[in-house]
Amino acid sequence: MNFITIDKSNWTKGIEKSRETYQIFGPVEDKNGCRIEPLEAGVQPIMDADVTVMSPKSVLFPQTETILTADLDESKDDHHIMKRAKQQYTPRAVLGIRPYDARAIQLVKLNFDNPDYQDPYWCDAYEATTFVGLGVNRPGPCDFSTSTGCGPFSEEGLDVLLADLDDRYLAKVLTPKGEAWAAACGFDAGADAKESQALFDILRKEAEKNISTDLAFDKLAQKSILDLYEAPFWDDVAFSCINCGTCTYVCPTCWCFDIQDETKHKKAARFRIWDTCMSPLFTSHASGHNPRESKVHRVRQRFMHKLKYFVDKYDQGIMCVGCGRCVASCPVNIDIREVCKTMNNYEKK
Amino acid sequence: MDTCIEKIKAICTDLFSKGEVEKVIGFAGGSIPMATRPIAVTSEADVEKLVFNAFCGLNLANYVTKNNLPKDGAKIAVVAKGCDARNLVTHMVENQVPRDQVYIIGVPCTGMADKRRIAQRFEDEITQCTQDGDTFTVTSALQQEVIAKKDVLRHNCQYCTHRNPPVYDVMAGEPVEEQILDQPFPDVDHIASMDPETRWDHFAELTKNCIRCYACRNACPLCYCPTCFVDESSPQWVGKGQDETDITTFHFLRAFHCAGRCTDCGACVEACPMGINVRDFTRKLNKDALDLFGWEAGMDLDRRPPLDVYSPDDPDDFIK
Amino acid sequence: MMGNLLEHMGVDRNRLHFSWISSAEATKFVDVVKEISDKVRALGTTKKFAKDYTK
Repeated sequence: MNFITIDKSNWTKGIEKSRETYQIFGPVEDKNGCRIEPLEAGVQPIMDADVTVMSPKSVLFPQTETILTADLDESKDDHHIMKRAKQQYTPRAVLGIRPYDARAIQLVKLNFDNPDYQDPYWCDAYEATTFVGLGVNRPGPCDFSTSTGCGPFSEEGLDVLLADLDDRYLAKVLTPKGEAWAAACGFDAGADAKESQALFDILRKEAEKNISTDLAFDKLAQKSILDLYEAPFWDDVAFSCINCGTCTYVCPTCWCFDIQDETKHKKAARFRIWDTCMSPLFTSHASGHNPRESKVHRVRQRFMHKLKYFVDKYDQGIMCVGCGRCVASCPVNIDIREVCKTMNNYEKK
Repeated sequence: MDTCIEKIKAICTDLFSKGEVEKVIGFAGGSIPMATRPIAVTSEADVEKLVFNAFCGLNLANYVTKNNLPKDGAKIAVVAKGCDARNLVTHMVENQVPRDQVYIIGVPCTGMADKRRIAQRFEDEITQCTQDGDTFTVTSALQQEVIAKKDVLRHNCQYCTHRNPPVYDVMAGEPVEEQILDQPFPDVDHIASMDPETRWDHFAELTKNCIRCYACRNACPLCYCPTCFVDESSPQWVGKGQDETDITTFHFLRAFHCAGRCTDCGACVEACPMGINVRDFTRKLNKDALDLFGWEAGMDLDRRPPLDVYSPDDPDDFIK
Repeated sequence: MMGNLLEHMGVDRNRLHFSWISSAEATKFVDVVKEISDKVRALGTTKKFAKDYTK
């Protein structure tokens, strides 16, 4: 593990140089807000952007991804045989993501890369990706990442962690992937490890002071699933919900998807798209029966999955990294912090 | 407007003490700056939770649907701005809810603030926002600003000509003066002045960030279909991915389903997480409804909507 | 109003056609379909509201 100083006047040159090896992703701002996107040559990531509305999960798990294709031309030997769609998995670097988003990717990894199943699309993309995070000097009012096992300068899941020091970045290189990225950028001005670590510690402490939410979920694991499931507060939690999919789409840890087939003339494609447990269609059976018929069921499912089922299944804390995107984007201000508190404090009478 | 809330609370307390309504649908304070949350108040003790400010931008008629009404015929009360009340009238005209089951607490409205316009004035995230009459004091870690509401008014509120509810049971304040506009649809006229290719590009650019969360649809009181056309699986009318044709199809058809029904309440835009002004679609329909039929939705309980009735005078030069 | 909105969105009005045809007017239906087909064919292909499956 070593530290590098990157003078900001060299930053752009280094990034452009790294394009010889890497496809670059990063925050972009346009009139519609901020999101993480692939950046064309010459387009720079906006490092001082506010929290992006959309998380970087799309780098590994695009909202629409063609996974299989087939030729329907019966004169061909391999007609109607589904084959893996051709995708590029050349090295890519995601710049300027927030540390909690890197942890989120580690949580999503539990689903796509585990002993039982390795999703080839997600795993190949993950292998190809270098995550360059930027510590958050001034967390906003929705940020509660210190409560969820990460924080504004968390290193989990990152290959490089940058700290913004006005005229320069201090980079903490955490993995061989990170070393390769720094080398490809030509960033090689070493910094004293002890001093640098001390600086990181100061910045982290300063940043953490801005986070006022102290979220407790310590009692969730001990609670009975059925008690929480049947708790009386769900109607109140769900009342204002309009059942849009915003919270699940902006969430960096929501991984549910749907599979769709489309054909035209002699071509067929199967693709996967994000799905949302907020939609009635998510659980609609072919018979017409829907086990989660009302919005209360669906709202309960979202929070039970994140704050109870996940806790029980993986023993990795809650399925939330405290980015606050759902809190900020929810049209009706449903706040996961409040729901978590309600669930954690609930005692069946 | 800030005195309204005291009147709203007094009215609600009175309604509960007389047992006239089962619940009141209104707004409660939010957990973050510039947010409010729709709430159903069911007892006198909870009336204190109600708020009314310039961030009550959703449409509460959305919470008054056939399935949400008490089955025993009991009344519910709704806190309604001009647009909310017009959408309640639309519900009644479309036979969704009976007039006698809804008690409308009318609020004379001077417009809602555009959160995005306020946020744009700040380099970093807003940590606090307080409203005092028609000004806001907005604070972030780096700056503090005092902002006049008129400078950050939502676009639909700038062009609103029905700030007072046309139908109500009680008013929570003196009616406010209605705006008289020389040009009620400058945004529609502006798009119309472009050539067709530019218009197409305008709408493509507008919807390119759409994530298909359907917040616009779900925030809209008009969208009460049991199953929306985009959620149908057999037949599947429209693809579900991020294809631009599918996205455009969704927005075009969603808008057209609101033809002659939309009150331009702006809830769709308020709800959109990506800041897309989907009103660019519906405003054209509102303009046509006014130009072709002299119609504004939700003004009258006794008049049928133009697309609901046939009249020999209907324009028909498009039929060949 | 639907035609107006489509036109507002940049779709060529000549590609839209509204006719009132009774179920008994088979010949009128055939004539109208022929007429529209010829007219639209003459306008050429469009990418508007035409999904590109090659992506």
